[in-house]
Amino acid sequence: MANATASTRPARSPRRNSSLGDRVFDILNYVFLTLLMVVTLYPFLNTLAVSLNAASDSIKGGIHLWPRQFSSENYKFVFNEATIYNATLISVLRTVIGTLVTVFASAMVAYTISRQEYVLRKLVTIAFIITMYINGGLIPNYLLIRDLGLINSFWVYILPGIIGVFNLIIIRSFIEQLPESVIESARIDGAGDFRTFINIVFPLCLPVLATVALFTAVYQWNSWFDVFLYNSSNVKLSTLQYELQKILQNSNTTSSAETAFANSSAGAAVKVSPLSIRATMTIVAAVPMIVVYPFLQKYFVKGMTVGGVKG
Amino acid sequence: MAAALAVSMAACSSGNNGGNASPAASGGSSSAPASASASSSAAPSEKPLDKITVTFFNGVAGEKDLNTNETTIGKMLEDQTGVNFKIEHLVGDLNTKIGTMIASDQYPDVMIPDAAIEEVLKAGAFIPLDDLIEQYGPNIKRVYGPYFERMRADYGGKIYFLPFGPQVGEYAADPNINQGAFWVQRRVLKEAGYPKIKTLDEYVKLVEDFVAKHKDENLTGMLTLTHDWRFFATSNPPMHLAGFPNDGNVMVDIATNEAKTYAGSENEKRWLKTLNDLNGKNLFDKASFVDNYDQYIAKLTSHKVVGFFDYGWQIGNAMNVLKDAARKDQTQDDFVYFPLPVTFDGTHDQYLDPPGWTSNRGAGITKSAKDPARIIQYWDALLTDENQVLKSWGVKGETYEIDDKGRFYRTAEQIAKLDDAFNEKFGFKTYDWDWPQYGTSSTLADGNALAPGFQPEVFQMSLTEGDKTILGKYGVQTYAQMFDKPEDRPWFPAWSIPKEQGSPQQIWETKKDDLLKKYYAKLVLAKPADFDGVWADYMKEFGKLDTAGYEKWYTEQIKKVVEVAK
Amino acid sequence: MDNNDTLSAPQLAAKPRPAGLKLFMKKLVSQRMLVLMSVPFVIWLFIFKYVPVWGWTIAFQDYQPSLAFKEQQWVGFDHFRSLFSEDRFLISLRNTLAMSGINLVLGFVTAVSFALLLNEVRKVAFKRVVQTVSYLPHFISWVVAAGIIQTMLAPDGVVNELLKGFGMIEKGQEYLFLGKAEWFWGIFGASSVWKDVGWNTIVYLAAISSIDPAQYEAAEMDGAGRLRRMWYITLPGIKPVIIVLLIMNIGYLLESGFEPQYLLGNGMNAAYSENIDIFVLKYGLQQFNFPLATAAGMFKTVVSFILLFSANHIAKRLGQDRLF
Repeated sequence: MANATASTRPARSPRRNSSLGDRVFDILNYVFLTLLMVVTLYPFLNTLAVSLNAASDSIKGGIHLWPRQFSSENYKFVFNEATIYNATLISVLRTVIGTLVTVFASAMVAYTISRQEYVLRKLVTIAFIITMYINGGLIPNYLLIRDLGLINSFWVYILPGIIGVFNLIIIRSFIEQLPESVIESARIDGAGDFRTFINIVFPLCLPVLATVALFTAVYQWNSWFDVFLYNSSNVKLSTLQYELQKILQNSNTTSSAETAFANSSAGAAVKVSPLSIRATMTIVAAVPMIVVYPFLQKYFVKGMTVGGVKG
Repeated sequence: MAAALAVSMAACSSGNNGGNASPAASGGSSSAPASASASSSAAPSEKPLDKITVTFFNGVAGEKDLNTNETTIGKMLEDQTGVNFKIEHLVGDLNTKIGTMIASDQYPDVMIPDAAIEEVLKAGAFIPLDDLIEQYGPNIKRVYGPYFERMRADYGGKIYFLPFGPQVGEYAADPNINQGAFWVQRRVLKEAGYPKIKTLDEYVKLVEDFVAKHKDENLTGMLTLTHDWRFFATSNPPMHLAGFPNDGNVMVDIATNEAKTYAGSENEKRWLKTLNDLNGKNLFDKASFVDNYDQYIAKLTSHKVVGFFDYGWQIGNAMNVLKDAARKDQTQDDFVYFPLPVTFDGTHDQYLDPPGWTSNRGAGITKSAKDPARIIQYWDALLTDENQVLKSWGVKGETYEIDDKGRFYRTAEQIAKLDDAFNEKFGFKTYDWDWPQYGTSSTLADGNALAPGFQPEVFQMSLTEGDKTILGKYGVQTYAQMFDKPEDRPWFPAWSIPKEQGSPQQIWETKKDDLLKKYYAKLVLAKPADFDGVWADYMKEFGKLDTAGYEKWYTEQIKKVVEVAK
Repeated sequence: MDNNDTLSAPQLAAKPRPAGLKLFMKKLVSQRMLVLMSVPFVIWLFIFKYVPVWGWTIAFQDYQPSLAFKEQQWVGFDHFRSLFSEDRFLISLRNTLAMSGINLVLGFVTAVSFALLLNEVRKVAFKRVVQTVSYLPHFISWVVAAGIIQTMLAPDGVVNELLKGFGMIEKGQEYLFLGKAEWFWGIFGASSVWKDVGWNTIVYLAAISSIDPAQYEAAEMDGAGRLRRMWYITLPGIKPVIIVLLIMNIGYLLESGFEPQYLLGNGMNAAYSENIDIFVLKYGLQQFNFPLATAAGMFKTVVSFILLFSANHIAKRLGQDRLF
């Protein structure tokens, strides 16, 4: 932060008289990024195409970017499942509540361990970091959750994950990057630590908090293992991902007992297959998270933090 | 009639005589309770029962979670018994789920622990059912009676759960091939003039000749399925080629009851050498060893694969796609696969499953259950002929008809109606397995097959012109008739003989699988000249496994089963 | 409120000496707000993360889930011995280290480079589109992704077709990519980058946003080109985050993931694809052998700590930012 040149124009305004080297760089950069985009877009488009293709045809393979036999049957199969609507609601709730709680709690603890003068700083930091690498194992964790009375409870989605150490450290690093002067000026105004945190640090951390929020939201949205372990017998607390897992298993219908009993006409048309349902559930589960991303992107704007400090 | 049967069965079943498996010793203790319970079984419809809901965990992933009374069949059974089951199916890893249940000592009322059954039993989670059956289970006794000794012998003298599928009445064969076979495209047989193919050499030659004649079509002679746990589709053929049914990892001599593994045997060498030769001639798809299941199925539908070995239940989706196409367009019939009973020497095949008894799978009542008697009564009610017809054929006039000779059949409209959604709503799906019930190959007292798919009238209706043509050329009415009749093997399937998790037997199997996966690719893809060298390496590593111990253990178990079955 | 000496400069807050217990207490009282803000979460941490560690005792028992703790049979280090006496375990250890090493280096280099390149894009719309698109594969589960990778790498897949198109191989010489054991690590690394480079970049983009734009302008006036600005301004700006993440991830070297190896693995490449987690699944969980799984977990923890503290120490010695 050595450079103190006052910023007189918008940060990103390009200089027109850029050098040849810069222009070559730009071109190469655009070409490279475009290529990268193609490569990373392919799996998603492929999955989308498979999800929109008739299952009986997808079995044959060879679907790439576009459905060969368009069909909405896969989506019907998924959305016909009455349970997924409540499950979506639960997923949204756990994502929103879980994210808010995590972001706030992580930021608060991160602030305390960024304070050099805090006597418990090292102790708290290490206590957290250690837990990244230890795990009591499946059964002790299960028994703990049971003894806490969290089986068959919504809070089992929130409480065990209040603070992710990774998030904590990222936020701490970010806070430590902030100019000390900002915090000091708050102190001079007579603010205590909590007020400093809420009024000064929290707003300045928005880019990193947006990152943490995204990580947490995606984690919460995609989780199903905790549903499986703790709440599987209570469909009211089931989440979208868990219901999608069920639907996927439901789509696999080739047991010999079943062909013998359930249907006499050998060779009934293949309506759904795990292949197609997997693709469909990928899209169904991913779209909400993909839609959220652009809203968070605005927090990643260059210079935003420091601008805030100066403003 | 059912009650009469039950009484007669009770004579050879027994009360609580501990681990003693001898039928002679157990005969005396029990004949009075049988008649008492036989009369109680007629009662349920008369006195109104309070309704209860029983939780039911099924460790097999698959169907939809539901309350049985949401289905037509389940509702009718609830009306009879007052019991509704709330079913939960496994979604994640079985051992994880069962492990947490055991550790917390909390169970659903009824459980199918599938592969984790040994652990559940060891934890004492299942209650013994002997007394309950004695008191409330005349039909259970009738249907399961012949197996009681075996069930007790397997698990320390008591009955802790009811396996699925006891044989009742005459053995009805599955007309379709849901089990193993060597498959070949129908056009290959057509072009060769429908020859009788009995030996592996004949089969390979058939495939080779066809590919040679169709050079420009870019055909694959054979491929195999190796993906993940489905690897057995590549490693099981030596057993079948030697003329044995699918007993898992062993071939059991029917005369001496000796169990021999075929991994590491001459049979296996011969099978792999055959694939190696095919590969040397560029007739084998090398990608077999890297393809996943979806890729494999895609290849089977591509018309490019001439032949392969697999189990019918594993290729259902591919077959359905091919058959659908053939139904719409006669010429596509060429690409439908036809099953052949191929063995090494061509004398005697045992591809068809004999009547089986999967002794290490079943449904039990846990110690958490509040009302075990009601559950047993429900199961007992389910085991009447009437309810067995209900759960597999459905309701007369709705899902099946009876002709003037008393034969069950289905009309074309009924068949068309029975799609997935209907089967689910009606309850066919819920009740097709996972309950105490007659075995699939059972026959009802009136001579009708229990399973509609096994009823000749229903099977015939499902055949296309192409099907009839090829079956006619071979002079058979069903695909099963292409194969030899299964011999009686009381231990079948041997893989279901209980093995503890983590036992030396199970570790042997895991290590053997790893070894096979490592070496099969090397052996098949080796230059033909190098085959013997790679085989020697393989044998060297194979020699490190305690195969003799494994075989000894298996032989002992099989002899025990045979002894009990006498 | 807690208007007090927390204002004091860092040197005053040096570690309390044992003799200074009183001083320590005094500080603790004066910093009660910080204590209030953090200690409840330490209690939470203790309950949810430390209490279950009693489960490590399972590794020393012939554990039966149905028995109470007192009834378990103790077997000492048997499970550890059986773990280390397995050749397969040692091979899987090697594979784990190799794959997570590759992932670590490749993951960092690609994510940081990608963040730097993105930062140089001036068209906001383009930048956002690239960012969003590169983030998409993260939402494709490994099952689906592995299916796509297997299809692309098949003998008739797009990669072989491309090689043929460029004349690098002839027809009939198609590679069986997933059958070449020694290529597996590379395929794994590339697949991981492909799936997660966009996702991994997010945290660096957040870090870049804290760099003072004035620095760029000054550099521009000094005539520094794009590469120089990336090197001298952006990279140092996100260095603290890079180092902290690097240290944390070094601690994770024994966690190379499970799904991609399991899904892309097959008999032909098992010697290179099977890692500790797969070993534990096969010989632990799938055999209902919880002690073996616990023993493997403890082993991983010990190694993690060694790696973590070493990395942190090295960072400290080099005068870099560190984790703690």
